[in-house]
Amino acid sequence: MTLSRLVLRSMRKNVKHYYLYFFALIFSVTLCYSFTTLHHNPTVVEALKESGTAAAGFQSATFVLYFIITFFVLYANHLFMKRRSKEIGLYQLIGMTKGLIVRLIALENIILFIFAVALGMVIGFFSSRLFAMILIKLLKLDLVIELVFSPKAFTQSVIIFSILLLVILFQMTWMVYRVTLLSLFHASKKADERIKRFNFFQMTFGLLGLLLIVYGYYESSILFDAEKSLFKDIFLHMLVILASTILGTFLFFRYSVSFIMNIFRASKKGHLKIRDVMAVTQIMHRMKGNAKSLTLITVLTGLAVGIMSLSYISYYSSETRARQFSPYDYTLVNDKGISFLDRLHQEGIEFKKDTYRVAEVTFNFQDLVGDITNENLTFSTESSMYVISLSDYKQVVPDAQINEGETIITSYQNMFSEVVPLEEGGDFSVQYHNEEAKFVLKEVQEKFMLSGTITMASPVLVVTDTAFENISANQTSESSFNYQVGVNLVNSEDIPKAEEIYTDIQEERKLVVNGQEYLPLSYEEEKQGYLSIYGTTIFITAFLGLAFLLTTGSILYFKQMSEAEMEKESYTTLRKIGFSTSDLMRGIYAKQAFNFGVPLVIGLLHSYFAVKSGWFLFGTEMFTPLVVTMVLYVVMYAIFAVISTQYYKRIIKASL
Amino acid sequence: MTVLVGRKIKKTYGKKSTAQEVLKGIDIEVNKGEFVGIMGPSGSGKTTLLNVLCSIDHPTEGVVEINGKNLRNMKEKQLANFRREQLGFVFQDYNLLDTLTVKENILLPLSISKLPRAVAESRLKELVKLLGITDILNKYPNEISGGQKQRTSAARALISSPTLVFADEPTGALDSKSATSLLTNLENINKQKSVTIMMVTHDSVAASFCSRVLFLKDGAIYTELYRGDKTRQQFFQQILNTQSILGGDGYDA
Repeated sequence: MTLSRLVLRSMRKNVKHYYLYFFALIFSVTLCYSFTTLHHNPTVVEALKESGTAAAGFQSATFVLYFIITFFVLYANHLFMKRRSKEIGLYQLIGMTKGLIVRLIALENIILFIFAVALGMVIGFFSSRLFAMILIKLLKLDLVIELVFSPKAFTQSVIIFSILLLVILFQMTWMVYRVTLLSLFHASKKADERIKRFNFFQMTFGLLGLLLIVYGYYESSILFDAEKSLFKDIFLHMLVILASTILGTFLFFRYSVSFIMNIFRASKKGHLKIRDVMAVTQIMHRMKGNAKSLTLITVLTGLAVGIMSLSYISYYSSETRARQFSPYDYTLVNDKGISFLDRLHQEGIEFKKDTYRVAEVTFNFQDLVGDITNENLTFSTESSMYVISLSDYKQVVPDAQINEGETIITSYQNMFSEVVPLEEGGDFSVQYHNEEAKFVLKEVQEKFMLSGTITMASPVLVVTDTAFENISANQTSESSFNYQVGVNLVNSEDIPKAEEIYTDIQEERKLVVNGQEYLPLSYEEEKQGYLSIYGTTIFITAFLGLAFLLTTGSILYFKQMSEAEMEKESYTTLRKIGFSTSDLMRGIYAKQAFNFGVPLVIGLLHSYFAVKSGWFLFGTEMFTPLVVTMVLYVVMYAIFAVISTQYYKRIIKASL
Repeated sequence: MTVLVGRKIKKTYGKKSTAQEVLKGIDIEVNKGEFVGIMGPSGSGKTTLLNVLCSIDHPTEGVVEINGKNLRNMKEKQLANFRREQLGFVFQDYNLLDTLTVKENILLPLSISKLPRAVAESRLKELVKLLGITDILNKYPNEISGGQKQRTSAARALISSPTLVFADEPTGALDSKSATSLLTNLENINKQKSVTIMMVTHDSVAASFCSRVLFLKDGAIYTELYRGDKTRQQFFQQILNTQSILGGDGYDA
């Protein structure tokens, strides 16, 4: 038999045998190639031109994607080389040199790889349009995407995959050369633990693992609460949390699981149920070898879900954020562009308007937050703040009431209210024109009414009308913002027309304060701005999330595949002595629930605590985006569990 | 009382053009309390016959009845239940689960039965005492010797009090001392508890423990020997003689 015939034969066998590896390879290429193609698509480039960060985001995401896929392909290749160790050993046994074996497998790998890359690129080319459409949809733009072949994307991908192929070949060569004939035959058994009886060491570490995870969660819940934490440096704090949860996760899989199962098993005193035989004892048996990969999967799951949730939180909060920055549909500042109102009248567009007189003060909120001990929040506690009068405030909050000397701080929420909560009832002083006035903080509100152009996201102070007259005296439109008109349309159908007018009088609306030029944005413009940033972000993170999902799911599936094959003999025995397929499958379901479920649940827990500790930096709503992301992830992840279970079923059916 | 009946059992492998008839119409009857050996050269169909009789494999033609029940009419699940409740198995390569202790391995067949734990425990005690493996109950298979493994396997076969025990080359992987000890145990169990045993072997010594030995040649029964009142040594001689008549290399290995 010639070398080429041997290669062809073994390939035919392997494509059938390793079809998931093959599909995973194709899928990776598809993902990578469509991402790069998308990145070079002229329409997309045009759509993203406005936000400078998008291009950089795409670029770095491409690198991360390459990294994930390289890692994944190497892992899969390693696993399959291990599974083929017997075959390699056999070749050596019949007298082939290692060089010849390397050539044999290299040839096989090259053909397989080229085939997968070619196929993946074709699929990737077509799917890039689908992805582009998703992106445009996320950005809420109205564009038609055309399929464009990008030579640049093509060359880039070909180069990357050629390098990847070289790396795989190198890994393969290394594996063939490194191992001796004897160890080749044992390779598939190496990782299995020879079962030892329960010991104290295991119990201690098992307990420690659980404690470390809980400790990490606790620390994450007080990440911004400097008083309670030992760690004053926020980055050190984050590192401690990360290290403690990851180490805890590893110890959990390595020791706690066996520990818990050991207790369970000991309590049975030898009278195991078939489900325990199929699940518990097998899991215990392989925990040493599986601990690392399960930890990896848990951490990757946590990371992927965490990042996707945060970007979804950002995207989900786009409208709320836009509303906070532009509380009114249209804002006119310091009487600039007041002709907008006349134009609206002329066009017969109905609207409502509120007017605000505004004054600026400086104040030190140190007085209101008690002790700021977190050294990382090193911003100056002295800041400027805008003041409105109670009667203007009543336009949005009709039943607001304060006495002389009392104030309300409003537009205070999200990040600020989480990190620096203000104490109601405290007193503080404000400065204006070398004068000082003392006030009591009656309440803190979240309502927004002044445009972000004026406030630059700082809170708004509401004082009584008398106090306001004092503060606002001597303030001119040259030195500060002193007047705002907020316009809300009655009918949303009028938005396009009103936008047109608003843009039309752009020049009139420009204002200069303290030598700086400002141009207030409409709510729609603001919203579009947020959407384009966060739409791109969520698109990129979802893409990466998909790659993570593919990696973790496939790794688990590959692992289960080889476990199933290793346990085939036991299934034969069990079936012979009288267990039916369905008896054995009951155990398999439990085992799959563990292997897929536990990393998933712990990963989700990790991401929940991670997201909870800092979500307010990203958006205004946590619950819905987090749950949606998790549910989507779980559903797609479950697909792998299902095909893995199907694989077991096939093996068990064929075992007798 | 007849425990097992096989009528005109035929087994063919392969497609029509390349069909190979491994069993060519075998008739067999086994009575309660018998210890039947099946001998024959390699490729004579010993193991195939055993697999067909014990419901692991289906015959191409013919009928197998155990305790009056026709195996052909049973579904996969029923067959599995039947094997678990009525039959016991001892295999050449032990087929113990590495992940279970000796005790767990022995109790395995009871793992979906509703037998009370106390009953299972007392049966276990009796068996392990009989087989001499009381001290290794909490060990794992990789910590014990081949002979101990096979005795564990025998205990597993007997734990559900089966009507019929099938043994496929149980001594094939054992040294002669362990083999003799296992066979003595099987013989004792056969006599004391009147458990019916059917054993495939190519070892004449092993066969000499049986009460009856069937000789298979080319998929058909060539002859059968009864031990009767003969001593084991006499029976062994008789088996050797038959084997030499059977021709070929006689002692296949």
